[in-house]
Amino acid sequence: MKATALRYGSLLIILSILLLGVVAYRLRATADDELPRVQLNADNIGPRPIEDLTSKTVQRDYALAWQTMEQAVSENKSALLDGYLTGLAKEDFTKRVDSQIKSGLHAHYTDRGHKLDALFYSPSGDAMELRDHAQLDVQILDGGKVIYDEPVNAEFIVLMTPGADRWLVRQIQATNGEKP
Amino acid sequence: MRLLLTVVFTFFAALSVAASEIRVPAQVTAGTAITISTSGSGEASFYLIGPASANKTKVQAGSNIPVDSDQLEHAGRYVAILCASDGCTAANFFVNPAEANRLSFLVHPSRIPVGTPDGISAVAIVHDSFRNLALKPSPVTFSIMAKNEKPVSAARTSENGVAWVRLTSARKEGPTRLGAAIGHADEIRVVQQVAADACNLRIKASRDKRGFLIETDPVHDCAGNSVPDGTVVSFTESDAAGKTTVDVPIKRGVAKVEMPIDGRAKITVASGVVTGNELEVAGGQ
Repeated sequence: MKATALRYGSLLIILSILLLGVVAYRLRATADDELPRVQLNADNIGPRPIEDLTSKTVQRDYALAWQTMEQAVSENKSALLDGYLTGLAKEDFTKRVDSQIKSGLHAHYTDRGHKLDALFYSPSGDAMELRDHAQLDVQILDGGKVIYDEPVNAEFIVLMTPGADRWLVRQIQATNGEKP
Repeated sequence: MRLLLTVVFTFFAALSVAASEIRVPAQVTAGTAITISTSGSGEASFYLIGPASANKTKVQAGSNIPVDSDQLEHAGRYVAILCASDGCTAANFFVNPAEANRLSFLVHPSRIPVGTPDGISAVAIVHDSFRNLALKPSPVTFSIMAKNEKPVSAARTSENGVAWVRLTSARKEGPTRLGAAIGHADEIRVVQQVAADACNLRIKASRDKRGFLIETDPVHDCAGNSVPDGTVVSFTESDAAGKTTVDVPIKRGVAKVEMPIDGRAKITVASGVVTGNELEVAGGQ
């Protein structure tokens, strides 16, 4: 009787551990698929005021752009950049992915969010400049070995232009945060 | 005591051998070569990760590592990593944009009626020679060069790499060149300026076989530019039976229409929001 209880008890514990493992894996997968958090402050934008819909679209598309950039440098797939990047931004990240492939490297970003300040919106609505205060955890891996792992508070100047149905990141440049 | 000293000496000696270090300049200007110094000994891997590159090379720890100017053309954050037998060490530095000497020039719209106040938006995005956004304030000169008119220019200082201006279109129709210049670099765009709305729209009537031929004088805007062919002119005839409107495009500078008219009638003309003169005619017997 005691032996049977012990057997069932052990079985229950093993099943619970397996179940927890599956749940943890699923949670991590969901977190990876989540869009980075983006907050837009357009109080100082000019000369054109930003429309509500444009404001929402820019936040969504900037988040999607970061998601695809992070996936591209993590999986070394430059085709992922086609969706939300264009011009110099796409060119630069494609070069980065190509040289990562050549050197056997890849990067993993854990995105902790972006605070965007809209700086400029052209009178005709064909260009927008933003400053992004981003919080990221950056890991660089050579094969499977982590060679760099650091939390980064970065500042970027971003140029976005409208495409057919979305806003695209045209240029993104990290700055040291100093006022020019 | 001797043992203790040996242990302490061995500990510090081990520390000095094991700890590889890497020293980078804090700020670098785009397109400038640098040297990164390292400490330690033995074979090591050196990685340089930038906005558009991720390179790996074999080096000797403790040596100076030269980094060519072409590896530092993209402005942004770089990470230099040295991995030796004792582990990896890293240092970050920024590459700042070089002097502004290139422009991207966005002009909107490409076609505009003459004399539209602040109707043209011109935006210059300032770059250095490596196409980095040049963030230091730089003077940008915008100019508008209309046919047979004196060029007009306006100076603006770029802010965060962007300078912009609103311009009023010229008084004469035709292509107008818009320019933006910084240092020795300039960019030109052409905006087609078309006549504005019709002005002093006038019609005359003459009898023909089937009624009246109603014809406008050559249609011009208020600055004397010919309103382009294809612009629609509406003729409206009002008589005892009611109203009839005919829309006619301008052809060779004028719009004309044949109207069969019985009895007395009033004829008016309009193009867009502009109305012209009114005629009274009597047709039939």
